[in-house]
Amino acid sequence: MTIGLAMFAALVLVVLLGPLLAPYSPSKTSPDSLAGPSAAHWLGTDSIGRDVLSRLIVGGRGTLLITFVAVALALAVGLVLGLVSGYVGGRVDVVIMRVLDVVFAFPVFLLAIAVVAALGPTLRNLILTIAIVYTPTLARVVRGPVLSVKRWDHVEAARSVGVGEFAIALRHVLPMVISPILVQTSLTLANTIFTVTALSFLGLGPPPPDPNWGSMLADARQFMELAPLTVIGPAAAIVFASLTFIVLANGLREMLDVQGR
Amino acid sequence: MMRMVVVRLALTIPILLGVSLVAFVLMRALPGDFAQASAGTSTISAAALEQIRVNLGLDRPIWEQYLRWLGNALTGDLGRSFASKRPIAGELFPRLAVTAELTLIAGAMALAMGVSTGLASARLRGRTDWMVRGWNSLLLAVPNFVIATLIVLLFGLYFPTIGIFNYVAFATDPLGNLASLLLPALSLSLSVSVTISENTRAAVLEVSSQDYVMVARAKGLHARTILGNYLVRNALTPVITVAGLQAAAMLGGSILIETIFTIPGMGQYLFESVGNRDYPAIQGIVLVAATIVLLMNVLVDIAYARVDARVSYD
Amino acid sequence: MTGALLEVRDLTATFNRDGVPSQVVNGISFDIAPGEAVGFVGESGCGKSVTARSIMRLAPEGSSVEWSGRILFRGQDLLALDEHAMRDVRGRRIAMVFQDPMASLNPVMTIGAQLDDMLCRHTGLSRRAARRRAVELLDLVGIRDPAHRADDYPHQFSGGMRQRVLIAIAVSCQPDLLIADEPTTALDVTVQAQILRLLMRLRRELGMALMLITHDFGVIAGMVARVYVMHGGDIVESGAVDALFAAPRHAYTRALLDAVPRIETAGRRA
Repeated sequence: MTIGLAMFAALVLVVLLGPLLAPYSPSKTSPDSLAGPSAAHWLGTDSIGRDVLSRLIVGGRGTLLITFVAVALALAVGLVLGLVSGYVGGRVDVVIMRVLDVVFAFPVFLLAIAVVAALGPTLRNLILTIAIVYTPTLARVVRGPVLSVKRWDHVEAARSVGVGEFAIALRHVLPMVISPILVQTSLTLANTIFTVTALSFLGLGPPPPDPNWGSMLADARQFMELAPLTVIGPAAAIVFASLTFIVLANGLREMLDVQGR
Repeated sequence: MMRMVVVRLALTIPILLGVSLVAFVLMRALPGDFAQASAGTSTISAAALEQIRVNLGLDRPIWEQYLRWLGNALTGDLGRSFASKRPIAGELFPRLAVTAELTLIAGAMALAMGVSTGLASARLRGRTDWMVRGWNSLLLAVPNFVIATLIVLLFGLYFPTIGIFNYVAFATDPLGNLASLLLPALSLSLSVSVTISENTRAAVLEVSSQDYVMVARAKGLHARTILGNYLVRNALTPVITVAGLQAAAMLGGSILIETIFTIPGMGQYLFESVGNRDYPAIQGIVLVAATIVLLMNVLVDIAYARVDARVSYD
Repeated sequence: MTGALLEVRDLTATFNRDGVPSQVVNGISFDIAPGEAVGFVGESGCGKSVTARSIMRLAPEGSSVEWSGRILFRGQDLLALDEHAMRDVRGRRIAMVFQDPMASLNPVMTIGAQLDDMLCRHTGLSRRAARRRAVELLDLVGIRDPAHRADDYPHQFSGGMRQRVLIAIAVSCQPDLLIADEPTTALDVTVQAQILRLLMRLRRELGMALMLITHDFGVIAGMVARVYVMHGGDIVESGAVDALFAAPRHAYTRALLDAVPRIETAGRRA
C-alpha cells in the first residue's frame, strides 16, 4: 500500500509540476538526433533531437491529466446512475441498466475509436469518450451494494421512523459503496491509461505538438533499433503508471477487506 | 437446452438493436456533411452534392434511413465504402476472417499458457506460485501494444534477419501464414493469459478442497485421473466463462496488433476507414464487431450450461 | 493379537498449519479382526475422523500431517509405504464412506462413470464389463432401475440415494475393511436406519470388516460388537458394546450414553 501511494505521489508530482521538472522544453529540437543516454540527455534524444526525458515528463502530464479527468467524470456519472438505479429500482433501474448494457456490449476500444472518429480527435472528445466507456462498470459497482443495503433492517427501521429517503441514501448507502468504488476506480485508472495511450498510439489522441506517451511510442517505431530508449522510455512510463494504479487497487482491497460483490 | 438458447438469443436482440442505433447515430451525428465526406477531398459543385445526397437517401427522414440501413445490414448489405466505392461487406468479411484467425490463435495460446500456469500455481504452491503470480502482476501492467512494440524492437535489435512483417495469406502459403501470425498472436495473448491464469488458479484451489476430490483420492485413483476428471473438469467451468469474455477484449486489442504487424485484418480496416473518413465502413465494422462480441457471450453461456449439467437458464 | 486385519500401535497424527504443529491423535492403539464390526464413538473434534483418515493416509488438502507409530494392515505397515503403493491399497483393500453425500460425488460425471473409474482402476475390467458390474452394484445397494440411473448425474438423486451410491463405490472392489465416517449424520432420520441396515447387510454378504465412526451411541447399538470411545485424541474406554452400555466406566462414556434419547436407542438390550 505504501509503495502504491509513493508511486501515486510521483505521478501526481509529474502532473502538477510537469514542465518545471523537465530539463528541456519538449519541443526544442536539436541537431543531436537519436542520441544515446548522456549527461546532457539522460534518456537520449528522438529523431529530431528532442530530449526524451523532457517529453516523457510533459507527455506524462498530458496523459495523466486526461486519465484523471476522464475517470473523475465517469465516476461522477456512474455514481449518480448507480445510486439512482439501485435505490429507485423498478422501471428506472431496468431502463438505466439496459442502456448501460448497450455501452457495455462494445469492446471498449472499438467504441472509443468509433466515437473519436465520429466526433473528431479533440481533447474534449477524448475525455468524453473514455468517460462514456467506463461509466457502466462504475455504475454497476455502485448499484450492487445499494441493492443489498436498501433492504437492511436498520434502513427499514430508519424509514419507518420517518427519516427521508435522501438522508437514508446519504447516511447508510453511501458508506457501503465507498470501498468497492475506490478499488474499482483504481482499476479503471489503470485501464484508462491503456485506452488513452492506445488511442494516441493510433493517432487518435490529442493532436501535436503536445507530446504524450502513446504517440511517442508510435513515432519511435520508425528508428527504434537506432535509439531503443525512444521506445523503452514511453513503454516504461506507461507500465509504471498502470502498475501504480494496480498496486494501489490491491493495497486498497487488502486495506478495506473488500469482497467481490 | 434449445429453449435456453432461444431465450438467450432473444435477450440479446434488444441490446443488438441498441448497438446498431448507436453505431448509426454516431456516424450521422457528426459535424460536417455526410454527403461531402462521400466525395472525399475533391471539391464538387452544389448540384453534384445534392445528387449524392439523394443517392445516399439523405433527403429522407432519419428514422427511415436507419431502418433502411438496418434492413440492408440484416441481408448482408452494409452499403458502399466512401473510399473504395465498393460494397463494404465484400471488403470486410475477408478481413474479418484474418482477424478471426489471429484471435483464434491468440486465444489458443492464452488458454494454453493461462491454464498451465494457473494449474501449476495451484498444485505446486510455494515458489512456483509466487513466481507465476509475480509474473502475472507485472504482465497485467503492460498493454498489448507496448508488448508488441517491444517484441518488434527485440527482434530488430537481436534477430534482424528474421522478417516479422511478412504477412502471407493462408490460401497462398498456409505455413507461412501461421508463422507470420505467431508473434502478433503472442502479443495479443499475453495479457489475456494472465486473467485466465488467475482464474484457473482460483478455481483449482477451490475445487481441490471439495469433498468429491477427497473421495476420489480415497478411491485410490491415479493422480492423473483425479486431475483430469475431478479437478480440471470442475475448475474449467468458471474459466470457460472468463475465456469467452476475453474474446471481446482481444477483438479490441487486435486493432493495435494488426497495425503494428501490418496484418490486413478488421482492425486495420477500421483504422484505415477512420483515416479516410469512410463513415459507412466504420458503421458497418462497428456493427459487425459488436454483434460478434454479443454472439460470443451467448456461446459462452451455452458452453457453460453444457459443461455444468446443473445450470438451467430460466 | 495375531490374525488381526488391522493393528494400530501408538498412532499419533500431528497437523502442521502455518508452521504451528498441533497433535490431534495422541498415540492410540487398537485392533480390528477380519470381518469384525467395530465402533468409534466420540464428540466432534475428538480425533476419530483423523484416525480414520490416517489409516487411509489422507491428509486434507492444503495441510500437511505427520504420522508416527505403526498401522499394520494384513501385516504390512501402511505408514511405511510410498504414495504409489498406498494408492493401490486405497479403494481396493480399504475403502471409505464419508459424511456428506451431497458434496461427495463429482457433479460433472454420471454416477455410472464414477463407479466405472473405480472398477477399471482396481480390477482391470473392460469398460463394458465394468459398467455391467456397476449396474449390479447399484442394484445391490437398492437403487431402482439401475441400468438407466447409471447415466444420471448426482444432482438427480436425493441425499439418501447418493449415500447408497457412495457405498456402492466403496464396496465395489470388495475391500477387506470398510471405514464409514459418520455415514448417516447428514441424512434424514428416516433414511438413517435404511443406510445402517444396508451397511450391515453388505458387511454380512461381502465379509468385510467395518469401522463405524459416529458421535451418536444410538447408531452404534445393533451394528457393532466392540466400541472404542475417544476423547481429546485419546481412547478413553473400550470394550464389548453390551458391557459398555450396561456399565460404562469412564465419565465421558457415561456422558455420551446419556446424550442418547431413550426411546430411539434401538437394539439396547437389557
